[in-house]
Amino acid sequence: MTTDMELNHRFHQIIEQHKGVLFKVARIYCSNEEDRKDLMQEIMIQVWRSLHKYNDNFAITTWLYRVSLNVAISFYRQNANRKNSNIPLIEEFATLKDEAGNEKQEQLNHLELFISELNELDKALMLLYLEDKSHAEISEIMGLTVSNIGTKIGRIKEKLRNRFSQLNSY
Amino acid sequence: MIENELKLLWQSTNKKLEDSITINRDNAEDITRLKVQNFLSSMKPIKIFTLIVGILWVSIVGVILVNLFVNAYEKVSLFFLYSAAIQVILSAISVTIYIYQLVLTYTIDYNEPIMVIQEKLSKLKRSTLTVTRILFLQLPVWTTFYWNETMFQNGSVFLWVIQGIITLLLTYCSLWLFLNIKYENRNKRWFQFIFSGREWQPILHSMELLNQIKNYE
Repeated sequence: MTTDMELNHRFHQIIEQHKGVLFKVARIYCSNEEDRKDLMQEIMIQVWRSLHKYNDNFAITTWLYRVSLNVAISFYRQNANRKNSNIPLIEEFATLKDEAGNEKQEQLNHLELFISELNELDKALMLLYLEDKSHAEISEIMGLTVSNIGTKIGRIKEKLRNRFSQLNSY
Repeated sequence: MIENELKLLWQSTNKKLEDSITINRDNAEDITRLKVQNFLSSMKPIKIFTLIVGILWVSIVGVILVNLFVNAYEKVSLFFLYSAAIQVILSAISVTIYIYQLVLTYTIDYNEPIMVIQEKLSKLKRSTLTVTRILFLQLPVWTTFYWNETMFQNGSVFLWVIQGIITLLLTYCSLWLFLNIKYENRNKRWFQFIFSGREWQPILHSMELLNQIKNYE
């Protein structure tokens, strides 16, 4: 049986080692800095609350993506409850430095803009695709069949390709 | 842009950004002090208030009505008795759906796959519309509960014409709304007028998400 101390230690370990997952999910679902911080905070709360239910049969990143994406997609519904949780947000939390070059940054901005135009489920799928997750792992996270994932990703990529070619034609 | 470029672009910038994130340990420590979510404490005060008012209304008026049905059926106006009974039964159904919806919403398990959880949450949110549809069905009984024998004996034709128009109109409206409040009509002007408030946005968003889920299957 896991003690409170072990759970506490595990939570800190997961957050520290996989903070990138939280950040990437927040990045894909929130366009402004404040919302990103709020969403990361909300995901951390949910990770803590769900940690005792974590099943070792799944890779930790699979589980973490499930929780994070579920929270992100539901974020608009939970926003008001979060404000009642009384945990002060610290200014430095999730402060980012942009170190990408100008041209790269511009391309990235376009990519983010095009992703922001996708619906909630497509965003989740696109994130997992960009993170190079296998179709089998995406299937476990999303709860879709592997063949369905291939089709969906193909369609989303086509959408993005069209958006980039529209951009290049101007 | 070639797809590998897309991935590389995304991953390379993320790596740098990830490295610069600092999770404040105090902040994380605060989170671990949160106890397992308590159902009542996690509810918004307005929801608790609505629930209390609903339960009190159904209980008090329900007890009074049962008493009248059993002990004073001959003495009270049957219009009042049956109108009030219909109102309380519809309110009781709404309160029951509301409680069921709240319990499921606050006990949802985020460990499950995204499609499963989002479908559950969206269906639950959508059930708020069912409650609204049921509540609209009450409209006509608010125009019949005050009818009595004296009105029939002494009321003028003019009074009954006005009364009849109002009751028939509200009956038609309530049935029409009950049948037509659905996602397919979300873009209609009357729908947007009824559900224009901020509090309805999550519900409309849930309906949209359900549609997305349907398209994914």
